[in-house]
Amino acid sequence: MPCERKPMRYGHSEGHTDVCFDDEGKCIVTCGSDGDVRIWESLDDDDPKSINVGEKVYSVALKNGKLVTAVSNNTVQIHTFPEGDPDGILTRFTTNANHVTFNSSGSRVAAGSSDFIVKIVEVVDSSQQKTLRGHDAPILSVALDPSDEFLASSSCDGSVTVWSIESQTQVAQWKILQKSSDVSNAKSLCRLAWQPHSGKLLAVPVDLTVQLYDKNTWTHVSTLSDDLITQVVNVVVWSPCGKFLAAGTVGGNLLIWDVEAKLCIERQKHEKGFTVCGMAWHPSGVRIAYTDTEGCLGLLEGVSSSSPSSSSTVQSTKVTKEKNDYDDLFDEDDDRMLDEGMSDSRSPVKKPVMEEDDDDDDLMPATGRPRNRGSFLDDDDNSQDVCVSQDAGSVKLDGVPEEDGSSAILPAVGPAVSRPVYEGPMPTQPQRAFQPGSTPVHLMHRFMVWNSVGIVRGYNDDQDNAIDVEFHDTAVHHAMHLTNTLGHTMADLSQEAVLLACEGTDELASKIQCLHFSCWDTHKDWIVDLPKGEDVRALCLGQGWAAVATSALMVRLFSIGGVQKEIFSLPGAAVCMAGHGEQLLIVYHRGTGFDGDQALGVQLLQLGSKRRQVIHGEPLPLSRKSYLAWLGFTAEGTPCCIDSEGVVRMLNRTLGNTWTPVCNTRDSCKSRSDHYWVVGVHENPQQLRCIPCKGSRFPPTLPRPAVAVLPFNLPYCQTTTEKGQMEEQYWRSMLFHNHFGFLSSSGYEIDSEGQSQAEKEQQELLMKMFALSCKLEREFRCVELAEMMTHSVVTLAIRYASRSRRMALAQRLSELALEKNGCEEEEEEEEDYPQEEQMDAEESTETRMPSKYASLLKCIKITVFKFIKPYTLCISFIYCLTLKIKSFFIDTPICVSGAGKSSSSPAGQPRTTNVLDSMTVSSRKPTPLGGTSKQGKAPVLKPLAPKPKSKVLCVAQIQMFSIPHSQLFLPGMTWSSRILSSRMFSSDASVENVENRKPKTGFQLWLEENRKSILTDNPDFKEMDVIKEGMGRFRTLSAEERLVRLFLLEHVTHFLVTKSTVVY
Amino acid sequence: MDPAEVEFLAEKEMVKIIPNFSLDKIYLIGGDLGPFNPGLPVEVPVWLALNLKQRQKCRIVPPEWMDTDKLEEIREQERKLDTFTPIPSLYYMELTKLLLNHSADNIPKADEIRTLVKDIWDTRVAKLRLSADSFISQQEAHAQLDNLTLMEINTTRSFLLDSLNYMYKLRSNLQPGRSQDY
Repeated sequence: MPCERKPMRYGHSEGHTDVCFDDEGKCIVTCGSDGDVRIWESLDDDDPKSINVGEKVYSVALKNGKLVTAVSNNTVQIHTFPEGDPDGILTRFTTNANHVTFNSSGSRVAAGSSDFIVKIVEVVDSSQQKTLRGHDAPILSVALDPSDEFLASSSCDGSVTVWSIESQTQVAQWKILQKSSDVSNAKSLCRLAWQPHSGKLLAVPVDLTVQLYDKNTWTHVSTLSDDLITQVVNVVVWSPCGKFLAAGTVGGNLLIWDVEAKLCIERQKHEKGFTVCGMAWHPSGVRIAYTDTEGCLGLLEGVSSSSPSSSSTVQSTKVTKEKNDYDDLFDEDDDRMLDEGMSDSRSPVKKPVMEEDDDDDDLMPATGRPRNRGSFLDDDDNSQDVCVSQDAGSVKLDGVPEEDGSSAILPAVGPAVSRPVYEGPMPTQPQRAFQPGSTPVHLMHRFMVWNSVGIVRGYNDDQDNAIDVEFHDTAVHHAMHLTNTLGHTMADLSQEAVLLACEGTDELASKIQCLHFSCWDTHKDWIVDLPKGEDVRALCLGQGWAAVATSALMVRLFSIGGVQKEIFSLPGAAVCMAGHGEQLLIVYHRGTGFDGDQALGVQLLQLGSKRRQVIHGEPLPLSRKSYLAWLGFTAEGTPCCIDSEGVVRMLNRTLGNTWTPVCNTRDSCKSRSDHYWVVGVHENPQQLRCIPCKGSRFPPTLPRPAVAVLPFNLPYCQTTTEKGQMEEQYWRSMLFHNHFGFLSSSGYEIDSEGQSQAEKEQQELLMKMFALSCKLEREFRCVELAEMMTHSVVTLAIRYASRSRRMALAQRLSELALEKNGCEEEEEEEEDYPQEEQMDAEESTETRMPSKYASLLKCIKITVFKFIKPYTLCISFIYCLTLKIKSFFIDTPICVSGAGKSSSSPAGQPRTTNVLDSMTVSSRKPTPLGGTSKQGKAPVLKPLAPKPKSKVLCVAQIQMFSIPHSQLFLPGMTWSSRILSSRMFSSDASVENVENRKPKTGFQLWLEENRKSILTDNPDFKEMDVIKEGMGRFRTLSAEERLVRLFLLEHVTHFLVTKSTVVY
Repeated sequence: MDPAEVEFLAEKEMVKIIPNFSLDKIYLIGGDLGPFNPGLPVEVPVWLALNLKQRQKCRIVPPEWMDTDKLEEIREQERKLDTFTPIPSLYYMELTKLLLNHSADNIPKADEIRTLVKDIWDTRVAKLRLSADSFISQQEAHAQLDNLTLMEINTTRSFLLDSLNYMYKLRSNLQPGRSQDY
């Protein structure tokens, strides 16, 4: 069976319950022995609206916005729906009524009571009552027939009676029930039901069966039974179409019959086998709600999708063996014929609709009757001839419900009559405005706000209407108890003040009250009335200000002392607001959401001295079919939101103010109905503070809930693997330390120790990932990781790579290191740049000259690098040299001019058309790319200003050129070793510290490793000899590599030498 | 060992408190405690919890087992079985006494819990006496009792050992005072 039984959920305390749907089928309404009527928006509604109507409710009926209940104080009351306001007493009995029901139009209510009396009351005028006397025992159930002619009642005296309402006399009586003395002793509730629309049949649950009586003859027509029924049938309900009949039994069985076919099409069992005492069919016929005597509510979903499919299977079998099974077929045809015969205004309209439905059959999900009907019609066409001929003869016992069958479709098609069935996405009810960290307003004891500062609780019971303010840190302020005379429903709490607000009533305007307890004068509070007709919807407190969003789509800002400040309009109704320091976060309805989604927009404003809007009403991302459940800031001031699916999202300021999901609280829940109610988010330490709620979305005020701490967990892929884990950790760390940047940029003091620790942690993680990728021989990935590292860590990475004998990787890395260093310099330059900009125009000529030099110098540098790029050994060597020299010579103007001269010469151009062309061209390619992306911008975008750093660079280069020059003619040395030795010459103790920080070449590292062995072999070697020997040994390592390297080194040296000669 | 000493040991047990003050980590010989954030539960030893509670600096979160449902279950179990059932805390009696005496206002259904724990205690001590009785009457050389808590052992130790001594003496017809040492 395709019908799905949803898990039962707690609805009321144990005892008798009843259930019905509202007219549109949007809500399920239940009542129970706890005296409450609850309005459920769905079975999963964790926060049903409760209306207390009395001590005990026996029965509930709902129509036309009138909620009628039979209450234990012997009255039948009316409440408005969905507001739940009392609307008077309909009628009274001498004992309690057992069953109330509406007639089909909703104009009358019938009630049967334990004082043996049945009353029929006009809803609009309760003085117009009809009393039916004649039963000798308490009335079990009453039912009004759709034509308003008859009333059926069942009683403990064992009889089912049909009354004529007009004459108030008994029309028929069947003694078919078991006698009992009282309702509580009765075996069955014996809920009667007339077939809708035609009222042709009256269904009476009798013992293990359901008996059907015909209205015209008052005779027993048929009996519906099933083997599954082992205990008495309690309740029967007709489907809105009148085709199907559902029954609930004492043993917890739920059955649905196709009445015409007398076929049981659906058998379900209550999950715990409790007695089903209330059933209601959804107006669309898709689902059935039922309640049991334990106070639980259940739902059968997809009821109609089961029924049409079953009937269509019946159909198909019929089609194949038409001759054997005409009867049913003809009934259907009869339906149609009669339908046409009756041919009232609706039927022509109806038909096209049905056909349309039929066409759409494949497209639309089975939504109910129309489709069913469509399939029947389809069949009609197939057997048109047969049906016409047999038409007259087909009216017989089985054919009784035929007319109902025809009218049956009406309710479902009803809305479709006016317009075609809309199958597109349905708009979602926009969520109501709420205060983050508050529990629902209707609760008598509730949290008005729970945040990182404290707790505001609201009590609104019979004896007391009060507000308790309590601070987590008693050092802030002592606890407060306020009487809530104004009826505040919203609150926010900060270190400075408590902000309260109430909505307006007819007489009183909506008010904002602020208890500014940190105020130093004697007037600690202020109250502001909003203009008439404007209600507070949401409010929040920041540092020194308060903000209030109102029903007039406006946000009003106040100073904490009560001065009115800016007001501005919102593009939509506010949902909630949050404040932190100078930041104001507003979430509002951006539009209509569809299919359960909300369409929310978010604005983030900076209210301090630099007033600006940071987020300009962009859509707020939420999970599918969820709504916003919490909004706020982390303790460090990063906006955060949580949706009803438990996904926590945090603003990522470094990625263009996007929202990153950082945690899903539902992952930590043990059961599906458990939730975490968030009270605070902290970035450092990474904590999500929340209250675990068993079986609800929010905690009760008592017993006092305890806060739990959840860790964050970014939903990265493959977090079971080491790689995934580290990636998650790295990005989590990155995200959760973004606030350092934000705080420092907005002028707050930051915990620099924490920041450096965080950076260290991130770099460690990168290094670990690097090592892991190295182990997995993913060198490309290694380089990618290295790109994320800081310069100093890249050095480590180079060392790691060369230790693990990955020379190619080490080379690429040192390339990268160089680039990074360049970038760092660029950044420094960038930082200086704005200041340069501010310089006066007269100065610009002066500044331009050296800047030109500098950029030219850069060109040289780049060309040099370009040329030798792939041979990183050389680069890093040159690079080391540069740095060392940098530390030697701080500034020499001559050098600058020298550099200028040198740059004026056709720098590296001739060299590129050198013998090495083929090599350099091919290998050069990656470099200009990297260069242009990072360094290449320099000459274009940034006229480099004259400043010590660039000068030093020039110096460095010049100096670098000069050294090989001086060493050129050392005898017995190759060019390369000469260069190297020159490097060694300069590497005296004074620069050791500089050297340590800088990347080393493969040879250096190798040399360091092997120096000892060389020294032990030749103890009398001097430094020079050690290197020489080292060089020799190094060469033997890999002949090819060495060859290339050497070749190039020589050329570089040559090149440098020419350069240096140019300089001098 | 007297009960006060056992109670002293019990005070080393950790318990969750919700402080209403802010304090950095404190470094004690026994280990680091804190940091204390107002409103956020933190684990501290019972002695500190009680001290803070007395100064109204915190609320004590009762241990998980200190819950009527769980205790009732244990009580039933204890009554059903002849052996000792494992107890959620080795110091259940002491902790109950300490916490209920000092912070009954933070523990829901304090009186019920007190009664339940007393019931469990009585059942267990009765069992202990019974087993001691059968141990002696059957003149066994050794017996094993699992899941006893320190406090329970403490209630019976001195008496049982002394009486065993005396009985040993009586049975072996020894002159009193000849071999006092066990």
